[in-house]
Amino acid sequence: MAKYVVTGTQVTLNGDDLSSNCARAELVISAAEVDTTDFGSGGFTEVIGGLKSGQVSLDFHSDFGSGAVSSTFQDLVGTIGTVTLIAGNGTAASADTPVYTATVLINSFTPVSGAVGDLSTFSVTFPTSGEITYATA
Amino acid sequence: MADITTIRQKLAENIGTVTGLRTSAELIDNPSPPIALVALDSVDYHNDFGNGIMLSFSVSVIVGRAAERTMQRKLDAYISNTGSQSVKAGIESNRSLDGTVDDLVCPGVSNVGSITINDQTYLAAEFQITVYA
Repeated sequence: MAKYVVTGTQVTLNGDDLSSNCARAELVISAAEVDTTDFGSGGFTEVIGGLKSGQVSLDFHSDFGSGAVSSTFQDLVGTIGTVTLIAGNGTAASADTPVYTATVLINSFTPVSGAVGDLSTFSVTFPTSGEITYATA
Repeated sequence: MADITTIRQKLAENIGTVTGLRTSAELIDNPSPPIALVALDSVDYHNDFGNGIMLSFSVSVIVGRAAERTMQRKLDAYISNTGSQSVKAGIESNRSLDGTVDDLVCPGVSNVGSITINDQTYLAAEFQITVYA
């Protein structure tokens, strides 16, 4: 696969496809820095990787229609959900369009947002819980 | 999403609710004032991951011969944000265009003044419309 312009990341939450209301998606996987600096470090710090964690950030266009994104989030704050993201503008998992699956804590939702004349949008950022899996098929 | 021609026609239907104003969903050579002409200005693709688009329309409202004194008052009524002659209220009278788009808004009016059509000077104004589909 070549470089690509993002036009269609597929986003699902608990199996509901929210892509048509989603305008930005980001998954960050990081590892904690564990300091191992000692008297043999030659005056520099040394670190090794510790526990991994993740974060999912999504920007949505608000929609309170039946089954639409705002209605979907309405009762989910405080619950654990499953987010899948298919990268590479794909609609199914493949080597070029891998699917990431993360269990997340839905710890916030902004049902009302926007200034007069603007499209109503909201952004969410969820911490992941447990392993983030990656599949190409 | 409905096709752009349908969106134009539905916009014209909305504007058709304005008292005493003819409408055309397309630009025409010899408009007969007072008339509102719907024109597509620009389209932004990839508004979301579901291939959503944002369309910008302009509606030229041509009131009548600029030399006629009553025309300015007529244009004032069309530019007003409320009332039976408000073009803005007409545009936003059915914001989903009968379910063909997600939403629309008329953020403002520009180019208020005179325009020349077929060697005649008319009083006119241009209403902007942003459509999310």
